[in-house]
Amino acid sequence: MATFELYRRSTIGMCLTETLDEMVQSGTLSPELAIQVLVQFDKSMTEALESQVKTKVSIKGHLHTYRFCDNVWTFILQDAMFKIDDRQENVSRVKIVACDSKLLTQ
Amino acid sequence: MLMLLLLRETVGGGLMATTTSGVYIHVIEDVVSKVREEFINNGGPGESVLSELQGIWDTKMMQAGVLSGPIDRSLVQRPTPGGGPLTHDLNVPYEGTEEYETPTAEMLFPPTPLQTPLPTPLPGTTDNSSLYNIPTGSSDYNTPGTENGSHASDVKEKPSTYMQPPSPWTNPRLDVNVAYEPERGNSNPQFTHDLYVPPSGKRKRDDSSAQYQNGGYIPQQDGASDAMPKANLEGNAFGITFVSDRKVPRDVTCSSSNIPQVDGPMPDAYDEMLSTPNIYSYQGPAEDFNEARTPAPNEIQTSTPVAVQNDIIEDDEELLNEDDDDDELDDLESGEDMNTQHLVLAQFDKVTRTKSRWKCNLKDGIMHINDKDILFNKALGEFDF
Repeated sequence: MATFELYRRSTIGMCLTETLDEMVQSGTLSPELAIQVLVQFDKSMTEALESQVKTKVSIKGHLHTYRFCDNVWTFILQDAMFKIDDRQENVSRVKIVACDSKLLTQ
Repeated sequence: MLMLLLLRETVGGGLMATTTSGVYIHVIEDVVSKVREEFINNGGPGESVLSELQGIWDTKMMQAGVLSGPIDRSLVQRPTPGGGPLTHDLNVPYEGTEEYETPTAEMLFPPTPLQTPLPTPLPGTTDNSSLYNIPTGSSDYNTPGTENGSHASDVKEKPSTYMQPPSPWTNPRLDVNVAYEPERGNSNPQFTHDLYVPPSGKRKRDDSSAQYQNGGYIPQQDGASDAMPKANLEGNAFGITFVSDRKVPRDVTCSSSNIPQVDGPMPDAYDEMLSTPNIYSYQGPAEDFNEARTPAPNEIQTSTPVAVQNDIIEDDEELLNEDDDDDELDDLESGEDMNTQHLVLAQFDKVTRTKSRWKCNLKDGIMHINDKDILFNKALGEFDF
């Protein structure tokens, strides 16, 4: 089953990657097992986002850059406004990376 | 009525975590439980390693400020200790907190004894004779005294050997960066000095300096000539005069040590290094003193001088090419490594465009904006290009 390695770039993914790197460096963990852990993280994270999160968000902003390559969209927005439930966040610059959801079901 | 509705929401949640922190905790536990089998079976590292993994992961998450404590699972914006930024800098070494004491190597592996050789037995102690004597019979009882003494002295020397610097080239009195000053009274040129060291790829400069502690004389030669140079000591300087027709390197008189410089395609930065013979190595005891040795200092000095050279080159190149790339577009790639950049990772269902109006349907995303982690199930984006 294919997994998106996308979520490894999140905070939780980076913490896991760092932890695994340290343990592989110190010899506590084998690289193969570390990769297995990361793949499992991909699956667990995707599942959790599907099932446990109910938040809806609205994003508006000026599209500075767009790119579509290898079925991945990358947008760079400027002066973006995020409406999350009942609160709002404003950022001057944000990057959005999105993978094709249809690839997971294939 | 409203209060009842609110209560129902919270109670109805059950084990389902609705906060970001809660979702993260669930993911961590899910991952750990699913890989437990791999860790335990098939000769895996074991449960302890898995626990260590979870512990370090939890600690890093808390340091990043995205995870609340294991006890308090409500989404609370924890102020970072010390008033630092919430965003954890991933470029610094990991420092465990006291709460999750990261098992250090010392804890995992008992520290090895300081003395690897046998401890020195007290001389004259007959009990120790058994350590050194193979009991073959009563006749051996006469020898333990002497043998013990000799062995004791041998063993005594061992710790001291270990205590001393392992090699004479850690001798601090020899600084390879100053001109070589031989010992006084050494006026005998030794061309076949036993200073030969097989040139290795990355031998430290200090290694070769050890050979010169005896005050050995190193003849400097330039060109393919067989005539032997005459050596003379001039005060503290070390001078060599060539007797035959030979190019006199330009720096033969300017350096304090009066050692002729090797002529070759080297930048001036190397001259100071070249004036110190410590870093030279011989290809053979009675070699022809060709320019074969010129690569030697290059080999040894690859670290610093090449770095200097590269820096200079890179600076020039950067100046020349600085306008070639659009910085704004470059930020698309370089910004990926910036920890503080606002980032949204998600899947897209549909991306459409009408003229300059873009619309996209995203789902199952993690947002890191304004130092906060926010998860969403659905997102609608409307952008103007």
